[in-house]
Order: sequence, then C-alpha cells, then structure tokens
Amino acid sequence: MIGAADIPTVQTERFVMRAPQLSDLEAYTAFGSSYRSVGVGGPFTEAQSFQRLAALIGHWSLRGFGRWMVADKDTDEPLGVVGLMYPSDWPEPEIAWTVFECAEGKSVAYECALAARAYGYETLGMKTLISCTMEGNTRSEALAQRMGATRDADFTHPDYGVMRVWRHLPPEALS
Amino acid sequence: MTVVFQIPELETDRLRMRAPTLGDWPALSDFYASDRSKFVGGPMTAEQTWRTLATETGHWALRGFGRWALEEKATGDYIGNCGLWEPDGFPEMELGWDLLANATGKGYATEAGAAARAHAYNTLGRTTLMSMIAPGNAGSKAVATRLGAAYDKMFTHVTFGEVEVWRHPGPDAL
Repeated sequence: MIGAADIPTVQTERFVMRAPQLSDLEAYTAFGSSYRSVGVGGPFTEAQSFQRLAALIGHWSLRGFGRWMVADKDTDEPLGVVGLMYPSDWPEPEIAWTVFECAEGKSVAYECALAARAYGYETLGMKTLISCTMEGNTRSEALAQRMGATRDADFTHPDYGVMRVWRHLPPEALS
Repeated sequence: MTVVFQIPELETDRLRMRAPTLGDWPALSDFYASDRSKFVGGPMTAEQTWRTLATETGHWALRGFGRWALEEKATGDYIGNCGLWEPDGFPEMELGWDLLANATGKGYATEAGAAARAHAYNTLGRTTLMSMIAPGNAGSKAVATRLGAAYDKMFTHVTFGEVEVWRHPGPDAL
C-alpha cells in the first residue's frame, strides 16, 4: 500500500476543516446545481459534482495541499469548501472559498480563509498567496479586501475568461 | 488528526499497477488530446485532464476502489489506466481500461483487466462486474471478449449517451 494523500484536519474557533468525504456529496451537489455555483464555473450536474468532489480530494494527492470541507463542529454538517487550490491552469496557488446556502451570513469563508492562509504560510512555507474572482462576484471581492488583499494584474483563464487577481498580505505583514 | 487514503499496488507479469501521480499528467494529456479518447469522454484540454487525474485519485477515497496507473515493468513507462470505476451516474461498478497509443497491441489491457477483476472479486468480495463500452469501440470490445465478457444490454449514460454493457464471468466461472 502507498499513501495517496494525507489530509490534515484544521480547527478554527467555530468550525472544523476536514477531508471531503462521500457523505458531503448531497450538500456539494445541491450547491453545484444552484445559482451559487455560477461564480465558480457552474451550475454542475449531479455527475459533475461527484467528479468535482473526487477532484477536491485528488488535488491533495497531486499537490500535497488542497481544499477542506468546512463542517459544523458539533454536527459535522458540511458548510462549504475552503482551502488552497492550484490546478494546472492557475497562475499560482490561491486561497479559494465556497459557502453553502445553509451557512450563509456566519462569516464561514472569512474565518476559514484566514486559517487556510495561515496553513499556507506557516505549515507549507509559502511566501505569497492570491485569490481569483470572476467578474461580478462582488461578495468574494469584499471578502478578499476584508482579509487585506489588494488588486494585482488580471489573469485570463482559457475557460473562465478574465479573472481578477487579489494578492494577499505576505507572511511578514501578519506576524 | 489526519485522514489518509491509500491505494493498493498490484503486480502482473509485465505491469505494475500503482496510484496515479502528477508525473502521469503529460502522457495522459496527450491521450486525452487525441482521437483515442473519443470513446471515454474526450477529447479534452490538458487543463481538463489535470482535473480528471485528480478525480481518478479522489475516487479511491470516495469509493474505496478506483483505477490504477499502469506502468510497464521493463521500462518504467506509464502506459495507461485500468481499474474499477463507479462515479455518480453509473449503474454499478465498472471495469475499465485506457491505453496510451504506444502501448496497444501487446495484451496489456487484458492483463491489467484480469488483475483488476480479481481484485474486485477476491479482495472486495464483489460477485459481478461489467464494462461499459461505446458501440463503436471495437478495440475495447476485443479486450472484453478476451476477458471472457459478453454483451449484456444497452445503458443510457447521462453524459456518454447509449453505451453497451458487457458482463464479465462471475467469480465462480473463473
């Protein structure tokens, strides 16, 4: 046997960030089929959501880091997907966040994006991180700004088109 | 706490069946860019192939089984994928295989398919297995025939459309 991926669990003040698992499929499919996924390339069919959930896990195996399922500390209910993402068509590793409808308005993305940023800098030793937003995704842009990120040069993705790049505060600015 | 998922390694006479890795990406991208992928969801871009590779790996974590990357023992070259696949939208567990262009005609798909089928029956305790094959995919039908499988029925897949279901001999017949 060889280990395909080690996915660490990270605790934030109010949430747990853990490996995505099959029991998250229903919530992830509901998100993918809703208007909420439009800002990340959706909507997606049920079959696509399964593939995307598998790819969330597989990313850890390919890169050694990835995105977590954010879950309620008491009930383990999935609330969203937050973490570090770097597929082949991305300019550099980014902090990405998605919040399911049930968890709206609780600052899930903010709290977990801060944890993901700290994980990237402190655990992985990354020196810089970005977040990309698609035009019109003003809520994600507001979150990037709330984290202290500032606009960098745009990036043109082959499928998603022009994306705004937000450069996060570097590690030295946070210590 | 850390969640670890593992992919068992299998060995046949001429092949090592191992976890897919990022190193397989360039060759897999060539496959998915080519006409050879038209029966298995392609053609697709290298970027889409990257996500497919991540999906292949993550399927192991979600289902407890999946597809292996095939490595030719003599050369160490990555030559294709084969294994057990049951994403959302599949009627049951499927035994599938994809060979890169330079690896065909050597019986590798049959060799790997037999090992993956044995894993399904002997390790996972499954009692039946099928392969879904596009009607025009004569090469895969020849592999299925060599493995002892026979046409069972048609199935309409949400993305691939009409495909043939080929039923493999059960554990008792082997």
